[in-house]
Amino acid sequence: MTTPVHRKKAMQEAGYNTFLLRSEDVYIDLLTDSGTSAMSDRQWAGMMMGDESYAGSRNFYHLEEVVKDVYGYKYMIPTHQGRGAENILSKILIKKGDIIPGNMYFTTTRLHQELAGGKFEDIIIDEAHDPENEFLFKGNVDLNKLEKLIKKYGAKKIPYVSMATSVNMAGGQPISMKNLKELRALTKKHSIRIIHDMTRVAENAYFIHQREKGYEHKTIKEIVKEICSYTDGATMSAKKDALVNIGGFLALNDWDVFEEARNMVVVYEGLHTYGGLAGRDMEAMAIGIGESVSDDHIKARVGQVIYLGEKMMEYEIPIVKPIGGHGIFVNAKKFLPHIPQDQFPAQSLAAEIYLDSGVRTMERGVVSAGRKATGENYYPKLELVRFTIPRRVYTQAHMDVIAESAARVYERRNSIKGMKMVYEPKYLRFFQAKFEKL
Amino acid sequence: MKTIIEPFKIKSVEPIYFNTKEERRSILEKAFYNPFLIHANDVLIDLLTDSGTSAMSSNQWAGIMQGDESYAGSPSFFRFEETVQKITGMPLVIPTHQGRAAERILFSILGGKGKYFVSNTLFDTTRANIEFSGAEGIDLICEEGKHPTVPAPFKGNMDTVALKNFIAEKGAANIPLCIITVTNNSGGGQPVSMQNIKEAKKICAENNIPLFIDACLFAENSYFIKLREEGYADKSVPEIVKELFSYSDGCTMSAKKDAFANIGGFLAMRNEQLAQQCRNLLIMTEGFPTYGGLAGRDLEAIAIGLNEVMDEHYLQYRIRSIEYLTNKLITAGVPVMQPAGGHAVYIDAKEFLSHIPVEQYPGQALVGALYIEGGIRSVEIGSLMFGKYDANKKLIPAQMELVRLAIPRRVYTQSHIDYVAEVIIEVFNNRDEIKGLKITEEAPMLRHFTAKLKPIQ
Repeated sequence: MTTPVHRKKAMQEAGYNTFLLRSEDVYIDLLTDSGTSAMSDRQWAGMMMGDESYAGSRNFYHLEEVVKDVYGYKYMIPTHQGRGAENILSKILIKKGDIIPGNMYFTTTRLHQELAGGKFEDIIIDEAHDPENEFLFKGNVDLNKLEKLIKKYGAKKIPYVSMATSVNMAGGQPISMKNLKELRALTKKHSIRIIHDMTRVAENAYFIHQREKGYEHKTIKEIVKEICSYTDGATMSAKKDALVNIGGFLALNDWDVFEEARNMVVVYEGLHTYGGLAGRDMEAMAIGIGESVSDDHIKARVGQVIYLGEKMMEYEIPIVKPIGGHGIFVNAKKFLPHIPQDQFPAQSLAAEIYLDSGVRTMERGVVSAGRKATGENYYPKLELVRFTIPRRVYTQAHMDVIAESAARVYERRNSIKGMKMVYEPKYLRFFQAKFEKL
Repeated sequence: MKTIIEPFKIKSVEPIYFNTKEERRSILEKAFYNPFLIHANDVLIDLLTDSGTSAMSSNQWAGIMQGDESYAGSPSFFRFEETVQKITGMPLVIPTHQGRAAERILFSILGGKGKYFVSNTLFDTTRANIEFSGAEGIDLICEEGKHPTVPAPFKGNMDTVALKNFIAEKGAANIPLCIITVTNNSGGGQPVSMQNIKEAKKICAENNIPLFIDACLFAENSYFIKLREEGYADKSVPEIVKELFSYSDGCTMSAKKDAFANIGGFLAMRNEQLAQQCRNLLIMTEGFPTYGGLAGRDLEAIAIGLNEVMDEHYLQYRIRSIEYLTNKLITAGVPVMQPAGGHAVYIDAKEFLSHIPVEQYPGQALVGALYIEGGIRSVEIGSLMFGKYDANKKLIPAQMELVRLAIPRRVYTQSHIDYVAEVIIEVFNNRDEIKGLKITEEAPMLRHFTAKLKPIQ
């Protein structure tokens, strides 16, 4: 627990960037759901069964088998986390001048695409950029946008479509199975791969189960496998859905690409049978993947997020609707309409929430979006503060405290001021940037 | 007492799965005569590497349970940072998921075409990262270090005359960094003397070249200094460690070796500008600067391990057990690198299998024979690992053809080591039956990890 005076000092020292706070100064940590899950007793038992052999660890073979069984991908290479997989994939598949269409950008994903010489093009449906629109599958791909890109650049310039399930930057919004099937049909016609950013595939599957006709009687496991079946490979940060504190993988169905990836993983991550992970972490991942597709788990998980969202709506706090799978995304533009986007409304709001209660959230707006190659800021339509809920960590009482804090800040919203950036790193600036209050 | 006992009791055990010689023959064939492709369950004694294979202590496991998994600003990070600062005396500490990530970050900033990195001997992943950046890695090992079976106290030393000459020839501006690997892993785990590090530092300083330590085996090297170098007998290991780092501008570390961790590494340095560049790259491929791609619990385990490794009872046992195996082999006439190194026994495969030419990879052939005979997994450090091809696709062999038996820390007991010696001696007595190998498939970089081979009939 901290006092308002202590928090004020801590926030100042952190340059009004919640990433730079010490976690000991945080009361409830909603910075991210990545790597912050509580592992199960079975996962901890798996940790004790780690085989730390450098080559051919039995935990690797277990993980390989689970990835095949649960997701259906033929070949798998472990990586120390999701961005390790993105790095390798981008280096192998993207050539200079290539176009990578995707259903909304994600910070690290787009950066790896750009560093490999590619250019990201957003093909998510327009509804996704409107926080008020209550369409049930705001993660869907606009196939017309994709077709236009194919026409403009030619299919040869498009090494793959980057398809995320539970689109993070849109507020954890799902893609429908119907849309995915249509995407598969279109990409197949042009021989374009679909690479699945699958870090929250189980949460997406839950929304399909709840909202899409024909899936109400299917299990989460069946739906997850069907989603993966329409794609050619995947990057996975297991730190989300798969309930581990560290780990990820690159999955592929194409042997030649796999072989290239296997040679490259040694340089960046580690030998292909450990990929920069301890054996025990591969074991925890294998067990966590199994738990992540359990119907009871995912119902409780998403249910808790929805509980928090509904509470906030009762307080009339403007949030992205429908409520997503892994967190509540507060619409900072509407919350703080008096602060222009170049004064970082979401960054300011995240700081205010911390000052109020010690709850740590994250900016997902103009700071996260970064700059274009030409140097000008991206100004995303969505200027959001993300309240990300770690899996199995907090209780309903914690959710109540969070909603109450957001409500208190909302009441005094007119007194909140914007900020200016005083330090800006070259890449992924949101992590380390520093600000001052105006 | 004459006998040096293991300075620990065993709290938790892991079974060994036994198999027969016939089964192993077929396993090796299916693994294309490459030990990296054998399943760990099919190995009886795993001496492939000492990296990440240590047994953690009960204290480290307790640290594992205390890991704080916050994405940013975890107290586990601050404990880790403080420990590294204290041991190395360097203020800026950057965690990475393992040592090669630290190297890759450093060399992609400092490397590039036309640059030279000088070293006593670069480790395999270090060299690969340097070459990947377009730069060249140059090994300047002292004369004693080139003769495996001739004993000398500090065979890991850098040839400082060659260093001076090389700088004069290529120009200091083209040499972004000098790297001293302690102990010299690829050269037999042989130590570097404090005197040599001091001299290298002086030359580097005169030419404005920063000196980095590849610190994976820093404690073992420091203990050798205590044992062998004049003026250090009465100093404690932490004091020697501190002095060793005081001559450097930074270090790369694989915590999977001298920190008893199963995963992890770090970069430490004194230059704030370089550190900021490193952190910017770190975020892209590793993770946020306060976790660097590691779980919080792993940062705890590293911090605890770094202190445990400097315990002199441990180091005495560690160095003595390598010496024990080395002496057994010497007595039986097996050609091994002398004197014993810090973390492994190195067999001179060129001499052991003098009937197999280097183009047929005698080291790799011996690795296969040891596996079949006793289920021992070892690794070739010779022309498969470091060999290159000239313009006519002819092999340019490595300087030495060695087989490394790396001893994991705190994992095996004396009876395991006795068994290893018996197997090697048995293979030595029947060495004429062993055949050379040829490569059927290989990757362009770090080929030894995935290469496929077959015996030449």
